[in-house]
Amino acid sequence: MQRIPIKLAKAEMVLAKDAVTPEGQVLCGAGTKLSEELIARLKKQGVLVLSVKGHPVKEPGEKSLSERLKALDERFSKVKKDPVLRALEHLIGEYWIIEEKGEDFLEKLKASK
Amino acid sequence: MDKAELKKRLNDIQSLPTLPPIVSKLNEMVADEDITAVKLGKVIEKDQVLTSKLLKMVNSSFFGFPQRISTVSNAIVLLGFNVIKTLIVTSSIFEVMQASDVGLFEHSLGCATACGIIAKMRQIKNPEEVSTAGLIHDLGKIVLRSELPEEYEAIVREAQEEGLYMRQVEKKRLGVGHGEIGGMLARQWNLPERLVFPIEFHHKPELAPEYKEIAAIVHFSDILIRAVGFGYGGDPWVPGLDHVAWERIKLSKSQMREVIAELDEKLIELQDFTLEIKVEG
Ligand SMILES: [Fe+2]
Ligand SMILES: [Fe+2]
Repeated sequence: MQRIPIKLAKAEMVLAKDAVTPEGQVLCGAGTKLSEELIARLKKQGVLVLSVKGHPVKEPGEKSLSERLKALDERFSKVKKDPVLRALEHLIGEYWIIEEKGEDFLEKLKASK
Repeated sequence: MDKAELKKRLNDIQSLPTLPPIVSKLNEMVADEDITAVKLGKVIEKDQVLTSKLLKMVNSSFFGFPQRISTVSNAIVLLGFNVIKTLIVTSSIFEVMQASDVGLFEHSLGCATACGIIAKMRQIKNPEEVSTAGLIHDLGKIVLRSELPEEYEAIVREAQEEGLYMRQVEKKRLGVGHGEIGGMLARQWNLPERLVFPIEFHHKPELAPEYKEIAAIVHFSDILIRAVGFGYGGDPWVPGLDHVAWERIKLSKSQMREVIAELDEKLIELQDFTLEIKVEG
């Protein structure tokens, strides 16, 4: 999930959370696929930020997935021998890969190993 | 510095800006059995600044109530007096921390968030209390930083240079770790043992005389929040896991996935909250 200012919203993005006005009024629900018309309407009604699925917008200064995975591995460097924590590291890495590249990508990655 | 001297220095902290006068009044009121949340709420609401801070905290995403809590008495009913009292007692500490150490502040908020998610998953009766324990688990570090700044800096430096955990260096230089220091203070401030023990034993949860489950949740949440890399706790490494504590609260792989996903979403929302604080000061 990513929180983005509405001006970065594009058609085809999917809402991860309800679209709400700053006053808390719900305009459309999680799971809705955005279209140009819908984005225009949400803007008009005062929506400022949207939560969308995955990670479609690259933010300035944002670390790439491989950089993040490397940093993850470094943080775990003192507990490499612990099987529970190794599993935890694995699950976090998988979650990040799925969030950014999708479930299929992870499957292919696993198959290629 | 030896333990006795350290204890004395910490004792003096009691008189520092950390304890708003309203706390002793509230303690008296709570001792009275006929007291109601509405009456308590009214006393707190006389202090507008405190009230707005308190409502901001209780509405933040780490407690995760779906509807907005708009009055203090409502907050007391929903979160329990222990939580509200702890938030009041620690509000000025957090203010100091927001300004001086954003990394530790985020680490604390993140740990609170993880605690809440796991406590709810384990169907603990008052999950907000566990979140609150997570929020203040590194109280000892905060206090070291503000009260013994040179010592704190030396500890951070040595931890970095030698590649050690903070608490290893604390033990070496002060004779106690930040867990014990936080526990001492929490006890001085009359926080309930359900909060004192998890703070004191968050790195050794099985040594807690009671509330081992809460201590274990805080212990694991601290690990989890460092693992995902949110905030900064003084050194960059994921702390070791106590396996007896883990057996107590063990999550299956699919539960773990659920926790990771929910934590990620909540942390994104939390950034709105910390941003709001930064903007409003
Ligand atoms: Fe700690
Ligand atoms: Fe911590």
